[in-house]
Amino acid sequence: METILKILNEVKPGVDFTKETDLVNRQILTSMEIMLLTSELNEAFDIEITLPYIVPENFSSAKAIYNMILKIEEEE
Amino acid sequence: MQYNTWLYLLAFLPLTLAAYYLLPLRLRYLALLAASIVFYTISCGSRILILIGSTLVIYITGCLLEQISEKFQEKKKELSKDERKLLKKQVEHQKRLLLTFSCLLLAGILVLTKYLNFFCSNLNILFEQLKISAHIPAFHFLMPLGISFYTLSAISYLTDISRQGAKAQKNFLKLLLFLMFFPVIVEGPISRYSKLGNQLEEGHSFQYQSFCMGLQLMLWGLCKKVLIADRMNRYVKYVFNSYENIPSPVIALGICCYTFQIYMEFSGCMDIVTGSAQLFGIELEKNFQRPFFSKNVNEFWRRWHITLGSWLRDYIFYPISISHPFQKLSKTARKHLPVYYASALPMIAALFAVWFGNGIWHGAEWKYIVYGLYYYAIVVLGMLLEPAFQKAALAFSINRESVWYHRFQIFRTFCLVNLGMLIFRADSLTKAAEMFRALLFNGFSTKETMSEALLGHGAGVLEWTLLLAFLLLVLFIGICQEKGIHIRETIASWPVFWRFGLYLTTICIVVTAGAYGVGFGPVDFIYAQF
Repeated sequence: METILKILNEVKPGVDFTKETDLVNRQILTSMEIMLLTSELNEAFDIEITLPYIVPENFSSAKAIYNMILKIEEEE
Repeated sequence: MQYNTWLYLLAFLPLTLAAYYLLPLRLRYLALLAASIVFYTISCGSRILILIGSTLVIYITGCLLEQISEKFQEKKKELSKDERKLLKKQVEHQKRLLLTFSCLLLAGILVLTKYLNFFCSNLNILFEQLKISAHIPAFHFLMPLGISFYTLSAISYLTDISRQGAKAQKNFLKLLLFLMFFPVIVEGPISRYSKLGNQLEEGHSFQYQSFCMGLQLMLWGLCKKVLIADRMNRYVKYVFNSYENIPSPVIALGICCYTFQIYMEFSGCMDIVTGSAQLFGIELEKNFQRPFFSKNVNEFWRRWHITLGSWLRDYIFYPISISHPFQKLSKTARKHLPVYYASALPMIAALFAVWFGNGIWHGAEWKYIVYGLYYYAIVVLGMLLEPAFQKAALAFSINRESVWYHRFQIFRTFCLVNLGMLIFRADSLTKAAEMFRALLFNGFSTKETMSEALLGHGAGVLEWTLLLAFLLLVLFIGICQEKGIHIRETIASWPVFWRFGLYLTTICIVVTAGAYGVGFGPVDFIYAQF
């Protein structure tokens, strides 16, 4: 979780990601930042976030991102 | 068969409804399929065979893609992590091959019927320039109705199965219905199988409330088409044909009229088809959400032709953005550029494909490609200049969240959209450039005076008054909806006398004040040609 929060703060500084739960719908994370985030997460966790995972629900909060990574690791 | 004709409204639709509700629930999809086949055959005859043939290929590919995924799911349980990764790579490769083959086939039909002559004529020009004595003759393939909408729906169906976001349809007839469903085949909305497929397959019981709401929406769509769009058509035609001789303000008015015409027509058509589907208990995806309230062109395209925008995002933008070369580009950019520009650079590259695709999807002409790239240029400039805009706003103490600033943004977006529409409507790029020049430099001293240009050519004071009244009504409803007031539901809850009084009055207005009779020819739906 710490790594995710660190990456999120690098991609979008100045947001309290421990509290935000609607990052996509509130347009805190734009498509551009989601793409950048995907690239960073792939590298940090040695996973491949494929297209079916790129849906608003998976990027709505740090916890949702954490759950998505767990799911991908499980699948792989 | 057009959606605003008596044949559709008073014969085809009632007969289909009767057949649908008379059949047992599990067979009701057959009534929709039969109606879709009749609709398509009446509209473009034997070209239906092209659609049935390509649907067969889509059906087989869909089943094969699912089979490959299922086999992998079974096998992977017995494998170690490394073996699983290796097998997954092989499976993905197999699926990609299969998907590429069928997408190429679908695109091939589209290219053959829609783009071939465009490519050939451009090659001929190139040969001429290079002094090569070769000439490719023109081909005359008839374009199947709605082929662009059909192709995009088909590609999304196969891609979703490949991504395991949807299950393959095992019944060929049900798949054929999804791809040929009569309300969506001509102008969309571009449907996703996961949202429409199940609704078509399961029979729906008659719901009075949903039925009435469907009729109400159809009536509203008809108003937009025959009271506004078709009325404006005559004036738009005049301005786009005679721009050399008319004053600049009238040209500007003509361009605005075209913007409203295409909006009223396309969104009106969407209301008619969405209402038609609602009569069967089927909900279609939303294609418009009051686009003229948008504060920038990005937002405009999230509210205008929504299903095309989301298709381009999901099947072009995302796959390109997360592909390995783009991830590499992103990584390299981050080493050399500030975070903002590093993340913007790959996005700018990926967006080129999106806007080029948007342009050429509309038609096989350079003006459509330039139309797409015009929006690309605006979006890219907006992205690159955003840090400068932020600094300027701070320096001049401009509150970018204030109501006035938002109003300025809405006006700016409207002007940009109108310029785009000038390119879109002009007969060619040269004509668009000439008309733009006339808009800037014609001034007031032209062959025709302001009053001649405004009030001649069949558009009298009464005509303008009617148009203005209808436009103000649409604007008023739009403002209410933006504020969260549900006008349709409110009207539906009125007492019977007032409700039916309103509906009957509207029908009378459509019949008496619609664009029929002397001076008005039948106007085809503009988007039906795409």
